[in-house]
Amino acid sequence: MVTREDVENIALLSKLFVPEEELDGLTKSMQEIIDFADAINNAPASDEGFDCINNLSNVFREDEVVSSYPSTEILKNAPEQAEDHFLVRNRE
Amino acid sequence: MGTIAKIHEMLVNKQVSCEELTKSYLSEIEKANPELNAYVCVTPEAALKTAQAVDKKIAAGEEIGSLEGVPMTLKDNMSTKGIETTCCSKILSGYKPIFDATVWETLKSQNAVLLGKTNMDEFAMGSSCENSCFGGAANPFNTNHVAGGSSGGVSSAVGGNIAAYGLGSDTGGSIRQPASFCGVVGLKPTYGAVSRYGLIAYASSLDQIGPITKSVEDASLVFDAIAGKDKRDSTSVGGGNTYATLDNDIKGMKIGIAREYLDGVRDDVKEAVLAAAEVYKSLGAEIVYFDLPILKFALPVYYIIACAEASSNLGRYDGIRYGYKTAHYTGTHDMICRTRSEGFGEEVKRRILLGTYVLSAGYYDAYYKKAQNLRGTIISAFNKAFEQCDVILAPTVPMTAFEKGHATSDPIETYLTDICTVPVNIAGLPGVSVPCGFNAKGMPIGMQLIGKSFGEAQILNAAYKYQQAAPDKFIDTKWGVKL
Repeated sequence: MVTREDVENIALLSKLFVPEEELDGLTKSMQEIIDFADAINNAPASDEGFDCINNLSNVFREDEVVSSYPSTEILKNAPEQAEDHFLVRNRE
Repeated sequence: MGTIAKIHEMLVNKQVSCEELTKSYLSEIEKANPELNAYVCVTPEAALKTAQAVDKKIAAGEEIGSLEGVPMTLKDNMSTKGIETTCCSKILSGYKPIFDATVWETLKSQNAVLLGKTNMDEFAMGSSCENSCFGGAANPFNTNHVAGGSSGGVSSAVGGNIAAYGLGSDTGGSIRQPASFCGVVGLKPTYGAVSRYGLIAYASSLDQIGPITKSVEDASLVFDAIAGKDKRDSTSVGGGNTYATLDNDIKGMKIGIAREYLDGVRDDVKEAVLAAAEVYKSLGAEIVYFDLPILKFALPVYYIIACAEASSNLGRYDGIRYGYKTAHYTGTHDMICRTRSEGFGEEVKRRILLGTYVLSAGYYDAYYKKAQNLRGTIISAFNKAFEQCDVILAPTVPMTAFEKGHATSDPIETYLTDICTVPVNIAGLPGVSVPCGFNAKGMPIGMQLIGKSFGEAQILNAAYKYQQAAPDKFIDTKWGVKL
């Protein structure tokens, strides 16, 4: 059962605001999707596991210093910047 | 038909210069795009510059590669240096990557002519292309219908002859489904065959890049060009080499039909797929029927895993480093929440919330862990199926392209559109959608050929033989460049 409080908590974890007037609709829609997802709990039990496709293993590399992108290039996409850094927020 | 092979021949024989060809594509985009809404960004300057370089090579008597000078497009979730890449989301508005995705780096080095970036459902989440912040792309067979999604723009552009081919991405059917709706060929490669470096992530264990083309040969040519191991994507393995075996005899090939794939499929689609099976019989293939009951769990498994991965991948959009940032806020938390709430569309927010829910304490075991467990079971079931057959034949979508506005009302009903395509992503297998007929209203129907892991050569071989036997299923629309 998905409650309004669940949706509010999940929204907080997701860093999303849900306006009060959308909360009931969203709770209902989440409940419908969760009911649909619940079908998997009727699947036959199996001990089959899953790690990854193609049996990949972790890839290690030497810890070498290599050149990266210039910070001026990277900062071009920042909505706000200050003193060659990303600006998170303005002081109040 | 403006296939890659045809364009290559015309360029080599100097029937048309690359510049003339590119100009005619650009002028057709201008005419058709107001209705098709396939392109969200057109890049004429870069396209013409590449075209002139190709013409210089031809004039100097140099040999050109099969993709050289061919006008094409990329879905707007592939990073293109200096060219806006938005995933059709407000939250990435104005974002210009400072690097190229590996697939684009590869094609660019072969002088592919990029005409522009194409429309998609926001962050590739959707089956109609209508979740785009630019509005959906239209179906070139009937513009009152959707192009499908999420790679709706690429499919609309290729079906509408305003790109010779394009690259899409497929997480749960996003290449195959719109290809089926728009009457073109769409290949979702094996997980790991093509590098995902520079593809903006939706669900990293499911995402793959692949070609959307007018013919099976074209899909093979493009796939062979982009497949490969890439040290910048540690899940890439490599692959390719499908072109040489396209025309192999398929006598004795075992084509499997899982009965579950035909459940709930509209009659016209089912008839077209079964008629294709008859074509295969006439080519000497053997049709084998079997059951794959685990398939009924594929759709919920897909939505749980995809949303879980999306909720994590989309955590990076915080308004600090790129894209949209809210104008008014009171503190850091408030700034991030406002940015995300204003920047993401409704479906993206719904999937982030669902993903966060299934990963949260108390629900993780019942949903995420159980879904991962079933993923293993689905993979084993496919492995067992391939002991009985070489390729699996199935519908691509249970229906043909629906009318605009139909998909947005009910999320679950919209998710059901993906029922035939998601099993391939869950199991990491290759699948190709090939046109196999039309319904009474003239809308295209697609069939899907599914192969073993890294079995692209076999499914493309089977697809090519079908195309040769049933050329009337591959027809052109009224739009775009006529060659």
